[in-house]
Formats: sequence, C-alpha cells, structure tokens
Amino acid sequence: MNIEQFVRQFAEQFDEIPTDDFSIDTKFKENDEWSSMTALSVIALVDDSYSVRLTGDDIRKSSTIQDIYDIVASRVTA
Amino acid sequence: MITLPIKKYGLTFRMVEVSDAAFILGLRTDPKLSRHLSPTDDDLAKQQAWICAYKERETQGLEYYFLFENEDHEPQGVVRLYNFINKTYNSGSWLVKPGSDDFTAIKSDLFISSFAINELGFEQCLFEVRKANKKVVRFHKMFATLLSEDENNLYLIMDKKAYERKYKYLTSIIEPEI
Repeated sequence: MNIEQFVRQFAEQFDEIPTDDFSIDTKFKENDEWSSMTALSVIALVDDSYSVRLTGDDIRKSSTIQDIYDIVASRVTA
Repeated sequence: MITLPIKKYGLTFRMVEVSDAAFILGLRTDPKLSRHLSPTDDDLAKQQAWICAYKERETQGLEYYFLFENEDHEPQGVVRLYNFINKTYNSGSWLVKPGSDDFTAIKSDLFISSFAINELGFEQCLFEVRKANKKVVRFHKMFATLLSEDENNLYLIMDKKAYERKYKYLTSIIEPEI
C-alpha cells in the first residue's frame, strides 16, 4: 500500500471542500462535508480498492486518515 | 398489512405526514443536499400539498415515503418507494440530514431495501443516481448493476441476489449495534 496514494484516494471522497492540504494527519471528521454519506463512500472506496471491509467501529474509533490507513494496511497484509 | 412505526438499527421508521413538510423542505432546499436533486420550490404550502397528494397514493398502496428518526425522536432523513410495477419498484428521494450519526445512511438504506423485498415482496429495484453524486454512485456500484446512462444520470438495477449480498455486507458493518 502506498500511503500518499491512499491519502489522495481518501481526499477524492470529498467534493465540496478543498482537500489540497489533506495529509495522513488530517482529522477527516472535522470538516463541513463529513457525513454518513461520506462514511459510506470511504467504506466503499476501501472495499473497492483494497478488498478490505471497514466496520462501524473502525470508522467510529478513527479520527485521522492515518488511523484508517493503519486498519486497512493491517488487513491487506493479513 | 404494514404495521408502523418500525424500530430498526436504532432508528424509527414511519410514514411521512403533512406535519413533516418543513423538515423535508429544509432537506430538499439545503444547498449541499439539493445539488443532486430535481429542483424544489422553497414553498412550504406546495410541499404540504405534495404530501397531501402523496398520502392518497400511500392509502392506495402505490407509494411509501418514510421518515426516520433517531432515538431522541429527531428526524434524520427520508427515503421513498414508488413506481410499483409487477415485482419491481423504484427507490429515491433519499436524504440524510447533515450531522446525523456516521451510519444513518447505511441503516436507512438497509431498512428500505429489506422492507421492499421482505415486507412488500418486490424482487428488483430500479433507481437512478446523478453522476455528480460521487459518494452515492460508488456505494451503489458495489451492489447494483448499471443498466444505462445519459449525460447526467446512471440508471441501475438491484435484484434479490444483489440485495442479499448488500444486506450481508452492510449488516456486517453495523453489526455491533444491531
């Protein structure tokens, strides 16, 4: 997994706010666009691109893109 | 015979009433949400009249427009089943209030699909999604099959097998809560 590519893919789920400054440390819920639809889109992205299933708990316990990346990375290699 | 309200996944689902007009109008005229909807006049009386006409269709079993509330009885969104032809239905008007719990969209989608298939006995769902509505497009493409498209919209179909796949997948995501 490439972390920069992951951040870019993650950022692509947002289309209403500027995401140029998105980084691995971005707290992805702390913006005006985060919603249950965005959560759904992130889950679909991870399933589609990495064949990993995120759970509700994964999303709930994560605050940064790094948190999600770590979960996905651990399951991709598992 | 449909018995409502239905409590599922921590949400309460009931039919839309005329008294919900202001809430629905607020969703349909929300600048972000309305980007992917057919235009709605910001006119409460018109919205009330639309719901009155809908209630007639509901009585005849032609259409079901659900509102879902959280555990504090606060309305969180709406979703509609309509255009019933043989064993096929359309699903649309799906709106979730900004600021809702992270999984309200998934839960409401799960409910409406299950209701249509298991309670109403439908076998396939036709629906359209605006191409620009990227979040929803990506989600639906996980389970549904693309039938056709035009400049602005994708037209999709979800049969019973796809529904079963979706049900299994989505319940596994929210499982600790149900």
